[in-house]
This record gives sequence, structure tokens and C-alpha cells, in this order.
Amino acid sequence: MKQSTNQLVEHFFRHESANLIAVLTRAFGMRRIDLIEDMVQVAILEAMHAWKQRGVPENPAAWVHHVAKNRILDSIRREKTYEKAIALSGLSRSDQSITAQESMVDQWLEKEELPDSLLRMIFVCCHPSLERKTQIALTLKTLCGFGISEISRGLLLPSETVKKRIQRAKHSLATANVRLELPSDDQLTQRLDVVHDVLYLMFNEGYSTSHGTEPIRDEICEEAVRLCHLLCESPYSSPSTKALLALQLFHAARLDARTDENGAVILLEDQDREKWNRCLIGTAQSWLANSKTDQPTRFHFEAAIAMQHCISPNVEATDWNSIVNFYSRLIQLRDSPVYELNQAIAMGQAGDTGEAFSQLQNLRDSDDMKHYFLLDCAFARIHELEGNTKAAIDSYLTALSKTVVPHEKTLLEKKLRKLADSG
Amino acid sequence: MPKYMFIYRGGQEKLKFASPEQIQQVMQMWIDWIDDGVEAGWILDAGDGLKPGGAIVNMDLTVTKDELSTESGSLISGYSMIEVPDLIMAIELAKDSPMPNSGGTVEIRELTHNGKQYE
Repeated sequence: MKQSTNQLVEHFFRHESANLIAVLTRAFGMRRIDLIEDMVQVAILEAMHAWKQRGVPENPAAWVHHVAKNRILDSIRREKTYEKAIALSGLSRSDQSITAQESMVDQWLEKEELPDSLLRMIFVCCHPSLERKTQIALTLKTLCGFGISEISRGLLLPSETVKKRIQRAKHSLATANVRLELPSDDQLTQRLDVVHDVLYLMFNEGYSTSHGTEPIRDEICEEAVRLCHLLCESPYSSPSTKALLALQLFHAARLDARTDENGAVILLEDQDREKWNRCLIGTAQSWLANSKTDQPTRFHFEAAIAMQHCISPNVEATDWNSIVNFYSRLIQLRDSPVYELNQAIAMGQAGDTGEAFSQLQNLRDSDDMKHYFLLDCAFARIHELEGNTKAAIDSYLTALSKTVVPHEKTLLEKKLRKLADSG
Repeated sequence: MPKYMFIYRGGQEKLKFASPEQIQQVMQMWIDWIDDGVEAGWILDAGDGLKPGGAIVNMDLTVTKDELSTESGSLISGYSMIEVPDLIMAIELAKDSPMPNSGGTVEIRELTHNGKQYE
């Protein structure tokens, strides 16, 4: 019989590595993070060698925790011996009791205590002193246990760049000896905003349609959802956190339907809605309901729009008027040509093609969007809705003449063929 | 039927910089390969891993100690006991093992029973 019960859950090592790094860094300080990462790596390798032939022990997490903790304690004891030698030579150094730290680590590694360390780590990785991209890379490394090569593939950056960013970030946090603390009440809102932005962008990095598919990118989405969920379950979340989780879940529900068997992207209007994950949509709806507040954020409106798509049986039956209104609220919150573009399409879908054209024309007159191929796609879509196939084809051809990545090119060409066949 | 010992050597270096995910994949490959062998009956004993390090007592009674592992790619990292009709079959099975793929080797040695082949 296969020892399927003995097999590890997916991403076990990755998540245990993240748990250990969070707890050990909390106990022994950011300045030791490199040492901690090395010891965690050693513990995981040791586990592999011990388990590959005899099978996985009953409590694999406890096994890895035990090894990693002892490795790091041994190493710090040696460090303390060295420090004592320095102290004897006349330089004074306070001697913290390692036994006290050890029992703290044991306590923090308990299942119910773990989220606290992870949350502290989230706030450190999203430290305001770091650049946004670095925050994302550091979060993926430290909190999601991704390797450098996986991060570089996921973020479409050269490995060397990712490595350097992470090293520099760790170095600057270590030099400042940033503590793994939760922000104080007066700072919480501000710090939480940064965390939200990072989780939002992290999800988008995984979700973004402009790069084709790779399993690693779906996993980045999963990790963003996992961290957002962790935050939502904690006392530190705000209504905005819950709306963000709802938004991510609505998108996640459609992940499987958005690519065909060759990995090519399928647009919302062409997706097989049977493939959408009803269970995730339901969960998303309850988080959105749970996120009610007098001061809705962009996540609330974006989630509300995503929900309208998710609950509609087809494109035509979608409540486009509500979507137009949600975009108006979004534009009030933050001026964005992308919102305006999407709003124009929703207007067209709602039947108001005249208004849609004039909004798109305004965008063409502004500098932001002029060279962006999606603007021409939006024009094409509205022409299509008006039944003007020739004008639609012309707009798609204009879009093709602009800078597009290969997979977007394929998508545009597919659209063009379809139009040519119908016209 | 003849019995053989698979002696696994090396393959440590390649994993040193692997991500947790890659390490887990390698381990899963091992578990699956061994499960298949146990199920098919040609693995008598999956054996065990051997910890890196340790000591060697030399001819002149001097002792070589410690980090043997980090330098030598030929360190034995584990063993298994196999029972198959002949060496050719054993070689084929060893080729399927995760060892060559993870940068290590499998040494195959036949066991003797009072100096004779196992019947």
C-alpha cells in the first residue's frame, strides 16, 4: 500500500520555513536573520534525509522545529562564549539568558501562537523604509518561503536583481535592528495601508494577464490570499483588509477559467462560467458583507465590481449600471485613467455607447493613455457593441501596432480573426 | 533470488541552495520511488539515511573527523536492500531512483550468504 498518509501536505517545507524564520527572528533579532535562514535550511535538508527512506514522522512540524531551534541555539551559545571572552577582557556586555529565549521560542512555535509571529514579520517585510518591489520580494522569501529562483520567475526579474534586493533589504533592517513588533495604535492604520498595498500588488503580480501562466504565479496569488486571510483573522485587521481578501477571492475563483490548456489567456467574456469556483465566490461574498464600513476604500469598490461579474450568469445579464457607479466612486477616491477606461467599457456594456466614446476620447486626448494599446482595445469593444465591425477591426489593428507582449499579440489576433469571420 | 545493496553517495551539494519547495519535491520523489519498490516487492528494506560527518580511523590509527561531508561528494548518504533476479535489473532500478537526478550516484553490490549467492 502507498504511504499516502505519510506524504506531506503541499508546500509543507515552504510554510514551515516561513514559520521558523518568523519565530526565530522574533526571538533572536533581525540582525541574525542570515544565520537563522541558514539554520532553517539545514533543518529542512536534515528532515529530507531522515524521512525520505523511513517515511514522514507523526508530527513533522515539531521535528523540523526541534532541529532548527537546536541548531540556532548551539550557534548562539558559541556566540555567547565569544561574548563572554570579550566581557572578561574588560568590555561589558549584558548576558541574556539563553534558557529564557529557548522557552519563548517553544511557546511561540505553538500552533495558536504562530500567527502572532507571522503578523509581526508581515509588518517588518512591509517596512516603510523599503521600496515596494523589495517589500514584495522580501515577503515572498521570508513569509512564503519561496526560493530566489521561484521569486525571480514569479516577478519576472533576473535572479541577481532579486537576490541583491533581498540582501540589501535584510542588511538595512538588520543594521537598524528593526524589532519584530506590531505597530502601535496610532501607527497601525498607516502601516496597515502599506501592508494592504503590498498584498494587493503581490496578488496582481501573480494574477496579471500580461505574462501568460506559470504555476508559480498562481502560487503567488495563493500566498497573498493566505497572508491576507491571516491578517483578517487577527485583531489588527480593518474593514479594508476584509474587502481586500474578498477582492482576491473573487479573482481567485476565476483563476482556473482564465487560461486554456495551452496556457493562453481567455478574456472574461469568453470564460466558461461553469469553471468558476462557487465555493470561493461564496466565501468572498461573506467577507465582503463582513467588511461593511462608513468609509469604504478602493478595495470595497473593486471587490463589489468583481462580485457583479462573479454572480452574473453571462456578460449580457451583468449589472453594468452598478459597475459604472462603483467606478465613479473609485474615481472619486483616486484619479486613475485605468478606472476611467474600465468605466467607459462598462458604460458601453450598459448601452450608453455615446457616453463611453466621449470618455474614451478624453483619455485619448490626455497623455497617460495615448500610447496604451488597451485604449484602442476599449474603442474596439465599443465599436463592436454598436455592431460596427469594420471600425472595431481598425481599432484592434491600431492596438496591434503598439507595444504588446507576445501573448497579448496572440490574444488580439484571435479577436481579429473572430471579428473577420463574423463580419 | 540474489540480493543487492544500493549504496547512495553524494547529491548533497546540489540541494544546499535549493528552495524548501525543491527539497520537498526531491523528498517526495524518494518516497514515491521507495513506495513503488516496496509495493512491487523488490525493495526488501528501504534502509536508512546516514548523517553527514562522523570519523574515519586510518591505518596509522590517526583519526579523520568532522565535516567529511562538505568536501567530499562521495560521502555515503544512505543505503537500501534490494532483491532482483540479476544485476542488469538492479542497474535499471537504480537508474530510476532520484539519486542520479539529484547529482549523486548509486553503487550496487551483491550480498553473499556464507560466501555464496542467495538462492
